[in-house]
Amino acid sequence: MNLSNVLKNGFLIIVASLVLTACATQKKASTGQMQGDVYTGTDTVEYLASGVPDRVFFATNETVLTTASRETLRKQATWLRKNSSINVVLEGHADERGTREYNLALGERRANSAKDYLMTYGISSDRISVLSYGKERPVDSGSNPLAWSKNRRSVTVKAN
Amino acid sequence: MLLLFLLPSKSFALIEVDITRGNLSPLPIAVSPLAIDEKSKENFNRILTKENIGSEISIVVENNLKKSGLFNPLNKDAFLQKPEIANLKPRFEDWNLIKAQALVTGKVTFVDEKLRVEFRLWDVLAGKEMMALAFTTTPSNWRRVGHIITDKVYERLTGEKGYFDTRIIYVAEEGLKTKRIKKLAIMDQDGFNNKFLTLGNELVLTPRFNPTNQMVTYLSYFRNLPRVYLLDIETGMQEVVGDFPGMTFAPRFSPDGKKIIMSFAEDGNSDIYTMDLENRIVERITNHPSIDTSPSYSPDGKYICFNSDRGGYQQIYVMKSSGKNVKRISFGNGLYGTPVWSPRGDLIAFTKLHKGKFYIGVMRTDGSGERLLTENFYQEAPSWSPNGRVLIFYRETKTNSKGEGFSAKLWSIDLTGYNERLVETETDASDPSWSSLLSN
Amino acid sequence: MIIITAMSLPFLSKKPIDLPPIVSVELIQITDQTNIPFAPKAKKIIEKIKEKEKKLTTEQAPPKIVKKVKPDAVPLPDEKIDKIKKIKDKKQNPEKIDNKVKQVSEFEKDDLFDPNNIAALIDKSKVESAETKNKTDKVTQNQEKNADFTRLTLSEEDALKAQIFGCWSIPLGLPYDEDLLVRIKLQLKPDGSIIRSEILDHARMNKPGQGFYKVLAESALRAIKLCQPLRVPSTGYERWKDLQLNFDASEMLKG
Repeated sequence: MNLSNVLKNGFLIIVASLVLTACATQKKASTGQMQGDVYTGTDTVEYLASGVPDRVFFATNETVLTTASRETLRKQATWLRKNSSINVVLEGHADERGTREYNLALGERRANSAKDYLMTYGISSDRISVLSYGKERPVDSGSNPLAWSKNRRSVTVKAN
Repeated sequence: MLLLFLLPSKSFALIEVDITRGNLSPLPIAVSPLAIDEKSKENFNRILTKENIGSEISIVVENNLKKSGLFNPLNKDAFLQKPEIANLKPRFEDWNLIKAQALVTGKVTFVDEKLRVEFRLWDVLAGKEMMALAFTTTPSNWRRVGHIITDKVYERLTGEKGYFDTRIIYVAEEGLKTKRIKKLAIMDQDGFNNKFLTLGNELVLTPRFNPTNQMVTYLSYFRNLPRVYLLDIETGMQEVVGDFPGMTFAPRFSPDGKKIIMSFAEDGNSDIYTMDLENRIVERITNHPSIDTSPSYSPDGKYICFNSDRGGYQQIYVMKSSGKNVKRISFGNGLYGTPVWSPRGDLIAFTKLHKGKFYIGVMRTDGSGERLLTENFYQEAPSWSPNGRVLIFYRETKTNSKGEGFSAKLWSIDLTGYNERLVETETDASDPSWSSLLSN
Repeated sequence: MIIITAMSLPFLSKKPIDLPPIVSVELIQITDQTNIPFAPKAKKIIEKIKEKEKKLTTEQAPPKIVKKVKPDAVPLPDEKIDKIKKIKDKKQNPEKIDNKVKQVSEFEKDDLFDPNNIAALIDKSKVESAETKNKTDKVTQNQEKNADFTRLTLSEEDALKAQIFGCWSIPLGLPYDEDLLVRIKLQLKPDGSIIRSEILDHARMNKPGQGFYKVLAESALRAIKLCQPLRVPSTGYERWKDLQLNFDASEMLKG
């Protein structure tokens, strides 16, 4: 079971990184803090524990995890395995450039992408709940592509 | 001469002239202050602390007519006739002189602790009365009297029902964009009589009226569990709709008011469900791995339009209310969301995102005849006036580089794309929903 | 099903919401209700029309210079009596469809038709063509022989149209996809003032579901009143003393 998961994920990562490199060559990274339109900076990032970032970022209208996101989530999974008494809420968010109701669904999807990934690393679904905020709780109140990229996120929050 | 005799039938022919052009400017109308006797005046002043309730009511009418964009209420300073005389027998020459084509007169009296209003609508050019009505109500309802008069005048002069004796339920917003405080609020269509229905401890979104305007369904984050709620605005009674193990959102009533249709997100996937409010039976309407949300019934209840990204991006689809015969109807460039079926049944209003701009538009129910009414940095969530002539929606401003200057406001626009107006609210506002007519 | 009352939900205001009860309305008159979709108009098209409108109105000559109103020639019905009767009719009767029909015809016959006056007013001095000379001999009795022109000349028609365009406030919000043509038959005096106006299918005005037709018809009647005296040709009275105007707003509303 675990082995097949690892294999599957390994495959996904390869596919994802291929896709990403393809994207990166097409789109110019607009700033040092974005790749494509996915946020890669650390301004808003908080840490669950030393070296364990609490959030992952998404491309516009996307719910697919990037390579960096997967890396972050694997760190979270390791940390969660070590701290088996801790439960988490995955809060999914969207940027302000979408209709409210669709964004609620999108936020839900993003948080679930993260949840599914954590589960493939052996974290029980009992320990993870999901909460979508849609576009209701931006971290950056700016109306520009960088601010929006920071807001397209799934944040892992300690529930207890 | 010869021709004349050869074509005798022509001699009877009447000359006809086709008039196919006219003025599209608002109809000039004079709203005379409603006449009031001294004693009634004192009584109303005592109860309502309004010096002259007759003029106050006429101001309500005047403002409504003006905001409709279809009428041009004339300046009262130019009126030559006193209200009490005008109401008995208007001197049409006087009203003609100031170019009024229609005239509203009336009288207010205090009868048995009640407000009695009679009013008349006159055709100034024809010199005849078009309508006469009277009604009584409790004095505190005086603004509604003004709205009802407007509805009657509007209907008589346009041939379609009015939308003035109505309310708007919306989300009142305050505070930083990152920590917005949101409350349910209700107000008259013209922004008066605003009341907050929740305290703002929880995030609340997307309130919508039921057909009788007594119930509201909305999304609340109470205890961090985003669920669809049902609120009786008269009793304040409140309940969660259904017993779903995940987020429910995007609720609306069915046209008969018996069901709530909404999205339920299960393992990240949002599909459309209905719940019967009488027998609590939950029915799944869509079953698709894509996002299905923002459902809205056709007025006859036979169809549902909704938002789905099953084709890759957000588009508008129509299906039978059973969930069968799903058909995409939006095919223009860009993304489409928030479809809302018009109360007349012939159009669907929507939000469109294209090249970084947001549009409010309408299309026919088969997707043809798309018309964009207004473009802005951000706007969405149109809601129809009960007569299907006006849309209300909300608009958010772009913030500056420091993230300052955010605001959210309600706006209305005619189906013609004209008459765009800010709807004044005490606080910032979003997610408006228009009630049906409260009376008549 | 969980039922939570206002008291147990902390996010609800404790005060019960005090909304005024529905006003009781005693309707004195019942109005028709319709469900006809109204005309959508694209912004640009309207703007284009408005541009044309502007041009039209500027082209218009002020009507007063053209015509001299002869006050003694205007037949005045006894308006006061008329009014009193109408007010009596208005006595709060919710079912008055019959009355309404009566009222409409009353309205149309507002001004009384007086054939003697017309005959007296014909401007003979300007009759020049053979056809119209023929007319003048037999004034009213022998019309069938007289009229041969079934049209106004283009410039005559344009002058009249331009004048009425300026007077007609099209009721915004009418449906464009309905058969909404209002035909009004006029009897005119030589100076262009109106002796009589008649809506050709006025029965339709008070039929249920014809609210838009009624609104359009009334707007057309207002336009005629407002334009009075009409800018008629200075010659050939016999030709146009009866005139039919067809009001059709669909072009404007459709864009």
